[in-house]
This record gives sequence, structure tokens and C-alpha cells, in this order.
Amino acid sequence: MRRREFLVRAVAGSGTLLLGARALSAQEGTPAPGPEQSSGSSNLFDMNQGAAKRVVRPPKAGARASLTDDERDAVEHKIRCQCGCTLDVYVCRTTDFSCQVSPAMHRDVVALVEGGHSAQEIIDAFVDTYGEVALMAPKREGFNWAGYLVPFGALAAGGAAVVTVLRRMQQRADKVAAPVLVTGVGAKPLGTADELARLDAAIRRDD
Amino acid sequence: MILVGELSLWVALLMAAWAGVTSYAGGALGREDLVTSGRRGLYATTAMIVLASLGLWTALLTHDFSLKYVASNTSANMPKVYVFAAFWGGQAGSLLFWALILSLYSALAIWSARTKARDLAPWACGTLAMILVFFIAVVCFKANPYDRLSFVPADGRGMNPQLQNPGMAIHPPNLYLGYVATSIPFAFAIAALVTRRLDAEWLGIVRRWSLLSWFFLTIGITLGMWWAYVELGWSGYWAWDPVENASLLPWLTGTAFLHSIMIQEKRGMLRKWNVTLVVTTFLLAIFGTFITRSGIIESVHSFAQSPVGTWFATFFLLATATTIYFVSTRLKDLEAKAGLESMVSREAAFLYNNLVLVGIAFSVLWGTLFPMLSEWVRGTKITVGPPFFNTVNVPLGLLLLALTGVGPLIAWRKASTSNLKRQFAFPFAAGLTLGVVLFALGMRDTYALVAYTLAGFVAATIGQEFQKGISARRNIHGEALPVATVRLIARNRRRYGGYIVHAGIVVLFSAFAGLAFKRDHDVQMRAGEAKELVDPLGHHWRFVSQGVSTSETLNRFVTAVGLEVWRDGVPQGLITSEKRQYLDSNKNPLFEPSTEVGIRSSAKMDLYIVLAGVRGETAELRISFNPLVIWVWIGGIIMAMGGLIVMWPQAERRRAPSGYVATLEPAKRELAATP
Repeated sequence: MRRREFLVRAVAGSGTLLLGARALSAQEGTPAPGPEQSSGSSNLFDMNQGAAKRVVRPPKAGARASLTDDERDAVEHKIRCQCGCTLDVYVCRTTDFSCQVSPAMHRDVVALVEGGHSAQEIIDAFVDTYGEVALMAPKREGFNWAGYLVPFGALAAGGAAVVTVLRRMQQRADKVAAPVLVTGVGAKPLGTADELARLDAAIRRDD
Repeated sequence: MILVGELSLWVALLMAAWAGVTSYAGGALGREDLVTSGRRGLYATTAMIVLASLGLWTALLTHDFSLKYVASNTSANMPKVYVFAAFWGGQAGSLLFWALILSLYSALAIWSARTKARDLAPWACGTLAMILVFFIAVVCFKANPYDRLSFVPADGRGMNPQLQNPGMAIHPPNLYLGYVATSIPFAFAIAALVTRRLDAEWLGIVRRWSLLSWFFLTIGITLGMWWAYVELGWSGYWAWDPVENASLLPWLTGTAFLHSIMIQEKRGMLRKWNVTLVVTTFLLAIFGTFITRSGIIESVHSFAQSPVGTWFATFFLLATATTIYFVSTRLKDLEAKAGLESMVSREAAFLYNNLVLVGIAFSVLWGTLFPMLSEWVRGTKITVGPPFFNTVNVPLGLLLLALTGVGPLIAWRKASTSNLKRQFAFPFAAGLTLGVVLFALGMRDTYALVAYTLAGFVAATIGQEFQKGISARRNIHGEALPVATVRLIARNRRRYGGYIVHAGIVVLFSAFAGLAFKRDHDVQMRAGEAKELVDPLGHHWRFVSQGVSTSETLNRFVTAVGLEVWRDGVPQGLITSEKRQYLDSNKNPLFEPSTEVGIRSSAKMDLYIVLAGVRGETAELRISFNPLVIWVWIGGIIMAMGGLIVMWPQAERRRAPSGYVATLEPAKRELAATP
């Protein structure tokens, strides 16, 4: 009986809450929501088609193409397309023909290659124009070293901690009488540690 | 039905709050009536959320475009399967889907624990109900799929074309099933901490649900890689996007837990560490959801900008604070019951394995958050993309691969020198031989060479373990090879299922290493024009363009290019790659054109053709040769199969013995029987 009462009240309460929420929304003059905002992109993100900036450097004297096509593609793999896709310029321009940013960046790379600029100079030119966000990975300098080294540092610290903990556990094992081995959750001990070690050894000989 | 569904959502919120409060009160006061009421409240919450979900599915399938969610994610001419899948295709629906799975899991977990774990059940029920309160509240107040438009549009804007893929129907549900399952171990861990009953009871429950979570995350992540590969057209399957990373984090810590729990079961050790891993896995699932739905991290996934970030951040902080409080006040109860006998033992090896798994999880989290950190510290925006993650994680991944082989070969408690020699001689020789052979064949990529050497080593350890077990069975029982193999696995599913998972890891790493030899070609072709290319294995390929064609189907306008393909002079058939312009029911364009990749898979290599664009009559194409990609999917399937074997319930009478029976002398039998 009490549960029924509760259910009736819960349903009535939630109905009131629902109506109240709607009334509140109306009172606040909330504009009627339209279909969810979107760029209309076929991508899963809002594409910024206007993100391309010109990256221009004067050609070197007597310039010839400084890189082969493969080397140029390798450079484009290091430069990030700025349309919002998180892909590099090469992959974006050869994947999504709705993107107007990566083809523009590609044209700049081609012009710089034809102007005789080296791979590093091309990358530096893009960083000068767009900032470090133009790179697919942070430069290995200054604070960015933290990005590269902290995971290994943490692993080393973790390793040291693990060794310390293991040593302590080992010391404790030496002090305390060896416990019994259990073979599964809730299983009863089958024998003393020494006996079971001998049993283990016997079984292993049969491996 | 739609109105009933909408109403049910609000009733579910009240019911969940009721279930939480009464369960906690029942647990604290020891009142069975309150505990029962809380449990029934949880069942009622589940029923209400099921109704709310049915309501939304009804709205989707009947094209009720008065609902903003329906109008935003579907259109009248969409195939039914994607209309159905649109339930989890948008922010609000996916959160309701999360609540649906959580409520079903919770009801199942509490129902099965009501008699087996009577002390834990009220606290676990209360915790699960509180998590449900959070998710239902987010759905009700911040992302309500029942929000209505002030007008009823004639048609919806449809689903993003990249989501209109069979993967859409199965990838997100699997991922959610994995994410949400982390809630159950968390709830039981909290219950165990509150009641100080950190014994075998909670461990058993937590292990089962952690395995379930791991199983679905493995399937979900693999399906996500497959979906990205076949649908997005960038010729890869893992881009280290924050959303991808968010799914990897709980998988890594969950995997660490499934290893370290064995040490607690066998030796009563690592109790603090195991509780920490259980709660960390859940918190990472929530944190991953927070960072990818709050907009604080740039992601290619559409959930990046949404209003639920603050809610998730608050919930995450509350859950973290609660966990820290309970763990820190129960440290004495979590003391190990045994000591370590040797640094060279399986216990120690598992701990090293845990260290690397957690280290990788940390490095992934660190890399994901580093752009934000850099902006705070230096005020400079940076990109942390695949080159960074590969630099940091490839060495760690190789270390993990090595430990995958080392761990199972070392004896529990203490490994003797003779044990090490006997166990490692063959695998070590096998791995080294493979490495030398590959080097002699001309492989020079250092990481790939190390990866294949280690893969050979680990594969040999697995093969050796199976060979020993099967031989023992055949000698003792005189069984045929297939029978002995099946029975070996069936009689010790945890051990041999685990080895099968390791075999999947070997296959996966071998496939990853294949990417070192990937080749891309950027080509332009007019109709009838031919191109010749050489793949990484030295095969000569010839492509002849059949020209660009256009056609119109149900809800899209298709531009396609067909290439007739030969390999070493042998015809391979026609491969087409498409650009699709999706249309609404009035033939108006929806979204921008999307890519349909032409893929020809084989065991050695994928031929991957993308129509990047059309200029006049010239098709601009990227032709990629992607070695061993098919083995990524196969590796994922093998891992999932291994997980399924480990999870499969085992009859009580079969649980104790190993996969083979050792013959003991009478004296030793007496020894074993000593109480």
C-alpha cells in the first residue's frame, strides 16, 4: 500500500516537475531551439574553411626543387592541416575534397620546395605563420621536453616504487611465517607453504 | 508512447534518488525493509529508463520531427537501421543510452548479489543508484532527447554520412557496454571499502564485471578502428584522437587489474593496488567522457562542444574525493596477507606488467592533456598528434609485449635458475631466430624488427605452454590432438583463455609493426589512363581508370571512379571509390560530400583507394598499400574470443584442477590432502 502511494506521488511529482520545467523555460523566454547547430560538414567536427594563411618565402637564387615528391610528402606529414581535422596536410588533402585548407597549405609547400627551401626551412616557415600548432608534434625544446620525458620519468619513478614495495614485501615474507597458498577465490588452504612448494615442484617436474 | 517515455525519464530520476537514499540508509541502519525498498527502487528505475528509451526509439522510427533530437539526427529517407542507431548517434540520445545500459547492468548485478553478497549489496545498490541519478539528471536537465521544437519541420537534417556505416550500429553500443560496466566493480569496491569486507566475496564480483567491461571495450575499440579505416578514408585506424584515447585508458587499467587480481586471489597481495585500479578504471571512463564532451580538448568527434562538461567535471571530482576518502581510511584493512618470496616470480612479473600498462595509460593521458597544459603554462597552442604518441608509446608497447611473454613462464612464489632456463630457452631462440631471418631478408626498420622478434618470442611461449598441456593430456588420457586441445582449454579457461588473449596481442602488434612499411601514392588519372606502382613487397600493380561516373540512390548522389587492377600481370578485378553527396527527401544536399573507400584486403596487404577529388574529367586519387591491416581485426577477434573463454562460467567441480593432471606419488597425495 505504501509503495503504491509512493508510486502515485512520484508520478504526480514528476509530472509537476516536467510541467514546471517547461513553464520555467517559457517564462525565461528561451528561444525555441532549432535542430542542433552544425556546420553542415560531413565531418564529425566543425570545419574552419577560412583557416588557411599564405606561407610565402622568396625563392633562393638559382632555385631548383629542393625535395623529391616523397620527401615533400614526408614534410606534409609533419604539418597539421588547420581545418580542425587533426590530420596532417598530406592525409587531409588526399582524403577529404571538401577541405579547402589542406590544398592551400599544400600549394604553399610546393612553392617553397620549388623555391629551393629545405624541409626544415619549410617547416619553420609554417611555424612562423601559424605558430607551433602547425606541427603534428611539439618541437623538442623548452617546456615541450616535459611532454616527451615525463611519461618515461613517471615510469622510472613507478619502477623504483615497485622495486621498493617488492623489497618490503620480501622482507616481510622473511619475517612472517610463510602463508598458505589458495587456489581460487574462497578456496580452502590445501597445506602449509612449505608443503605446497614441494607439491608445486613435483607438479612442475611433470610439465 | 513518446509522452510516456518522456514522463518515465523524470520518474526514473526520482526512483533512482529514492533507491540511492534508501539503500544507503538501509545499509547504515541495518534495516532490511529499507534495503529491499532501495533494491526495488533500482528495479523500478530500470523499468522507467527502459520505457524512456522505448519512447525515444518510437519517436525516431515514427519520424516525430517535433523532437529536436529526432530532427537533428534523422531524416525521413534514412535507412531504418540508421534511424534505430540514431538513438546513440547524438549527445542526448547517447547519454540516455548510457543510463539504459547502466540501469540494466545495475539491476542484474544487484539481483545476483542480493543473496550472495548481502552485506555489500545495499552499498553497491546505493552507489549505482547515485551514478544513475547523475546520468539521468544530465539527460533531464542538460541534454534531453525529448526537447521539442517550436515548429514541426517537414523533414530532419539526417545523420552525418560518416555515421551511416554498419559500424555505427555496433561500435558505440559495444564501447558503452564496456565503459558502463566499469561502474559495477566501482560500486562494489566502494561497498567493500565502506563495510571493510575486502575479502573474496567482492573480489569475485568485481573480477566478473571487470572482465565483461574489458571484453566489450576490446570489441568496441577494435570496431572503432575498423570503422575509422573503412569510413574516414585517411588510410589509418588509430589517430590518437582524444576520443580514441578516452576508450583506451580504462582498457589499459582494466587489463592491469585483470592481471593483478590473480596475485590477490593466489597470494592475498596487492589489495590496495587492486582497489585503486578498480576505482581508477571507472574514474578514467568518467574523465574520458568529461574531456571529450566538454570541449576542453580538441577532437574530431562531434561531442566536443556540449554543455555537459561542468556536470561531468563535478561528478568526477565528487567520485574521486569519495574514493580517496574511503581508500585512505581503510588502508589497514587493505594490508597484504602475504609477503613476496622473490623478485623473480610471477607475482613480481605481473607487477612489472602492471607498471607498464599503467605507465602507458599515464602517457596517453599526459599526451591528451599536454596541449591544454602547454597553453596554461606557456600561452602557446600546440598539437600533440600521432608522431608524439608513437615516440612515447611505441617503446612502452614493446616492453609490454616482452612482458606478455615473460609473465606466464615464471613460476609463482620463486623461480629457480633451472626453471628459467627450461622455460625460456625455446621461446628466446625462436624470437631471436625470427629477428635474424627478417634482418637477413632486408628488414631494417628498428621498431618493426624488435616488434617481430618479440612477437616471435611471445608466440613461442604461448605455443610451448599449449604444447606442454596438450602433450600431458594425450599421455595421461590418450586423447586425440583436437580433443586434448579443446579439453585443455575447457578445463582451465582462465589460464588458456588468457593465453589466447596473449596470442591476439601478438597478432595485433605484428599488424601494427606492418604500418612501418606502408606506402601512399598520390595520382591523377583520366579515363583509360594507366598507372604502375610497386608495393612494399615488390609486387607490380597496374591500374587503369574506367573513368568517373555519377548515379543517384535512395538518399545520396554518388560520384565514383572505377579502377581495373592487375597484380604482377594477374587481374584483380574492378575497385571503385566513391564520393557521396547525401540528400534530404526534397533532394536538397545535406552535409558536404563524404568518402567511400575502395579496399581490397588480403592476408599480406590491403590495397586502399580513395577518391580525393574530381577535377574536370580527371580523378585525383590516393592509392595506399597497407601491409597486414587485416590482422588488426583478426587480432581483436582473437582477443575477444580469449576474453569470452576466460569469462565463460566453469562448473564448480572443474574449477580446481589445472588443464592437465600430474601424477603424484602416494606420499605427495597425502601431503596435498593435509587439511
